[in-house]
Amino acid sequence: MDNGTSNSASENETITLKSCDGIEFHIDARIANRYTLLNNWNGGESACIPNVNGKVLEKVLEWCEHHINDPQLNCGDDDSRRRNTIIEEWDENFLSCDQDMLFEIILAANYLEIKPLLDLGCKTVANMMKSKSPEEIRSAFNIDNDYTPEEEEQFRKENEWAEDY
Amino acid sequence: MITIPNECYYIIFNNLQSDYKNLFSCALVNRHWCRIIIPILWSDSKLPFKDIRLIEIFILALNVQEQALLIPFKIILPSHPKPLFEYTNYITSINGDIYDGIRNWFHFGGYETKWLENSIKCSLIAMFLRTSKKLKFICLDELICNQIISENLSENTTITSINLKYISNDFKSEF
Repeated sequence: MDNGTSNSASENETITLKSCDGIEFHIDARIANRYTLLNNWNGGESACIPNVNGKVLEKVLEWCEHHINDPQLNCGDDDSRRRNTIIEEWDENFLSCDQDMLFEIILAANYLEIKPLLDLGCKTVANMMKSKSPEEIRSAFNIDNDYTPEEEEQFRKENEWAEDY
Repeated sequence: MITIPNECYYIIFNNLQSDYKNLFSCALVNRHWCRIIIPILWSDSKLPFKDIRLIEIFILALNVQEQALLIPFKIILPSHPKPLFEYTNYITSINGDIYDGIRNWFHFGGYETKWLENSIKCSLIAMFLRTSKKLKFICLDELICNQIISENLSENTTITSINLKYISNDFKSEF
């Protein structure tokens, strides 16, 4: 039984992934099959993942392994995926890492086209921005304000309605 | 902060869709975020059209032809500088609340004339049909259907739904 997934690889098959810094991981071939993450995988026993280092790839694969039996979403489900604001406890703990790692995971999920992980990472960042002032957000994410005072004032005037809803 | 592509920012801020207050705060963080957030904020399908601050922004988007409809009434149009964005480009849905917003704007400005109110409605709807490239839904009120609106409507290719609830059958037959 395939638990609603369309993986054709069997449970016992493994393949070897190599990160950009040469770290090797032996993973369930169903993961490789499930995501298009392995654009460079030709169905053989190993594949190289450029642009993702071992530390980040380890986290990404940990997430993939935990979610291997999740039902797969259709491409058209983008909106429903994003509207679901609840984050499962396991995922929440998984992403309770330092901020750099969180953004590295988002980058890797985007690069490897692991959409559910990408959405999860983005949702986590969005939650970190909620109920904060612009200054608090800048400080939390170490961002400089590049508005001129005049621009900022004009922006506020044109969009101040948004503060009241 | 690690640099991430714009498409990731877009997903992040889309999680805050309809959460105007938080989008407003995020847009004030820096200019880059602002450019990503403004289309998300202004394309929301439930914008508070009753708010006169939105009506003022919309009036600033009128072109010469649309403003000409208002000349006979000698009203004072808002005199803000040119807006930072062409906000009306992002509007996707215009519900009947816009007519309440226009009425609120009139009361606020101390204007009473019924014909003036209709002219403003006419100018604004013509402007939306001209500028809102992603407009999907529009609610048309009575008495505002004229040649400019008919022409702009016939040129529009994005609208999928029009609410003609208050419009006479004579005009409906022109569509």
